[in-house]
Amino acid sequence: MAGWILIAITALLLLWIVVIYNKLVSLRNETINSWKQIDVQLKRRHDLIPNLVSVVKGYMEFERDTLEKVTSARARALYAVRMRDKAFAEDVLTQVLGRLFAVMENYPVLKSNENVMQLQEELTSTENKIAFSRQLYNDLVANFSTKLEVFPDNIIAALFAFHKFEYFSAEEADKSIPLADISIRSK
Amino acid sequence: MPITFIEIEKQKTWRISILFFVLLLMYFCIAMTLVQGFLFLFPIHFIKTGSLFIWNHPSYLLTIAVISLVLAAIHFWFSASGAVRSVMNNIGATPPDPEDEIHKRLMNIMDEIHVVTGTVKKIKCMIIPSLSMNAIAVADLRGNSAIAITEGLLSRLTRSQTEAVLAHEAYHILSGDCMEATVATSLFGMYAAMLDKLQSIGDEDRSGLHPAFFLFWILVKLSQILSMFISREREYRADAASVRMTRDPLSMAEALRLLLRNWSGSGLIGSGIEMLCIINPQATERDESKGFWEDLMSTHPPIRKRIEILLRMVHMSIKDLDAKVNSKSEAVDMSVFSNHIKQTSGETSAFLCPSCRQSLLRGSYEKTKVYQCKFCYGILVEDIKIPRLIARRERNYAERIKSLAQAVIADNQKRLALKNLKNTDIKTKHLIACPKCKNPMFRTFYSFAYLIEIDRCNLCNLTWFEQDELEMLQCLIENKITARINL
Repeated sequence: MAGWILIAITALLLLWIVVIYNKLVSLRNETINSWKQIDVQLKRRHDLIPNLVSVVKGYMEFERDTLEKVTSARARALYAVRMRDKAFAEDVLTQVLGRLFAVMENYPVLKSNENVMQLQEELTSTENKIAFSRQLYNDLVANFSTKLEVFPDNIIAALFAFHKFEYFSAEEADKSIPLADISIRSK
Repeated sequence: MPITFIEIEKQKTWRISILFFVLLLMYFCIAMTLVQGFLFLFPIHFIKTGSLFIWNHPSYLLTIAVISLVLAAIHFWFSASGAVRSVMNNIGATPPDPEDEIHKRLMNIMDEIHVVTGTVKKIKCMIIPSLSMNAIAVADLRGNSAIAITEGLLSRLTRSQTEAVLAHEAYHILSGDCMEATVATSLFGMYAAMLDKLQSIGDEDRSGLHPAFFLFWILVKLSQILSMFISREREYRADAASVRMTRDPLSMAEALRLLLRNWSGSGLIGSGIEMLCIINPQATERDESKGFWEDLMSTHPPIRKRIEILLRMVHMSIKDLDAKVNSKSEAVDMSVFSNHIKQTSGETSAFLCPSCRQSLLRGSYEKTKVYQCKFCYGILVEDIKIPRLIARRERNYAERIKSLAQAVIADNQKRLALKNLKNTDIKTKHLIACPKCKNPMFRTFYSFAYLIEIDRCNLCNLTWFEQDELEMLQCLIENKITARINL
């Protein structure tokens, strides 16, 4: 009798482990997938920027340094490796691009150029997608981290060596220092 | 509380099963009424068993239950499975044109919504070629879903506002609200119509009605109220979800304000699917009043309340928003539209304006009822009413109409003369479709004495006057102005 009870308990325990393990795996895969989404969008943005710069260049002789900033920010974003650096570089790129769009408002010629307008729309759309996929990724990372830390689940997580993911965001301390250095001088 | 939209999508929508049970009960009631009626008509068999009432025969009840289950399942499946395509066809929505910049923008925004929701399931976006302002989301049991937005709304919203509106609609689809509403609509629309018929029969012979009929009646009414409650509560939730997706409550509030300020179109979106729209297409003043009963009976919560909730998130009041929006140039177009509303107060009709595809308002003109489009001021008149309009002389005509009429008939006479001389047809212009039967209308002169061109449908006996045409005609006839050139 006691043996049967022991077997039943073991079976229940195993079942519980399997359920939690599967849950963790599916959450992890969702998170990885959403990271890929960000990656796709970032790549798309990096591809679009040189096009925009080359089209705009002819019209905006006087804004040479704004354009250069965009190009260099892109290059930095392209070669960032660590998650935190990447997030930071992308933040800078977003800001610089925003400034470029603001400056472009002053050139009516550009507004009437269909090509430029299309590129701008594409870039805006990509920017939004980056922001949104980032939101989704960070939500999922938070969700996954919670799962890894709450009580019964953390045992299984430790058992099968699940790791937390890093948030896609530049840390506040990093953010404040170099930003000041770029932002003010543009106009 | 689900954290991401992926989780929302995973949640099973248990409320659909409630609808199914309501449907099942309804079928059960119908079947019971029928069988009971049959028993009263042919009581021979049952006199032997001693009871005329069906609830004394459990085996019959069981059979009825099984049959109604099968019927309900069949109905449920058919009404809900092909809904997307049928609704889209019904409202005349077309896929966006990728060459068009605004449509391209819409498609981009739709992609962004897919990114933010993180779902694999694609939502189609469609365009309704109408000047009215509304958006609608539809989903069915096969997993198809679509969001349609009218050209009128699309052209007036900024990028971020469009984003907010689409996010709102996307939430309806993801959370399963849409499927529910589609099912509810197809079920209750049909039964409400049937009930009306039954009631009109019942007026003559009320004594023959079975109590099951009343149960049925109560169920239909209850489910209508239930679906209203569902619909109202979820508008708030969809607003909240839209804010969570776009992180931009202000845009959503601005978009809603735009919808509130501009009279929304109706007609095009037939009644019965208003639950699926962002704002009720039949919206009248009633929806914005704060009375308890009105509040209870409308399918959408008052927009003002929705805006207030959104604005609270950004610590603004409605006045601030008004001031902010008015400072922009858009304010001009709004005042124009609000004028239109005041000028033509009337009930909406089932007819659509042939050029604006906006539903025509039934209002009075020269003391008789005509259908007028409030956008292009075209007027649709039944042929029998034309003599009345011409006979009545209530209106005074502006000098503008008089001179315009003279110019027009002179021009038309010249064209007619040329046509007669050269014996060729005047170039055929595109013909407009009759608002009632959708066949092309004839473009002819009212008469050869009064050369005003009108569009006539000979099948429905309707005449369409474009702006000023009716006034010109009346002016000509009253003042006896005929074309001067004599050939």
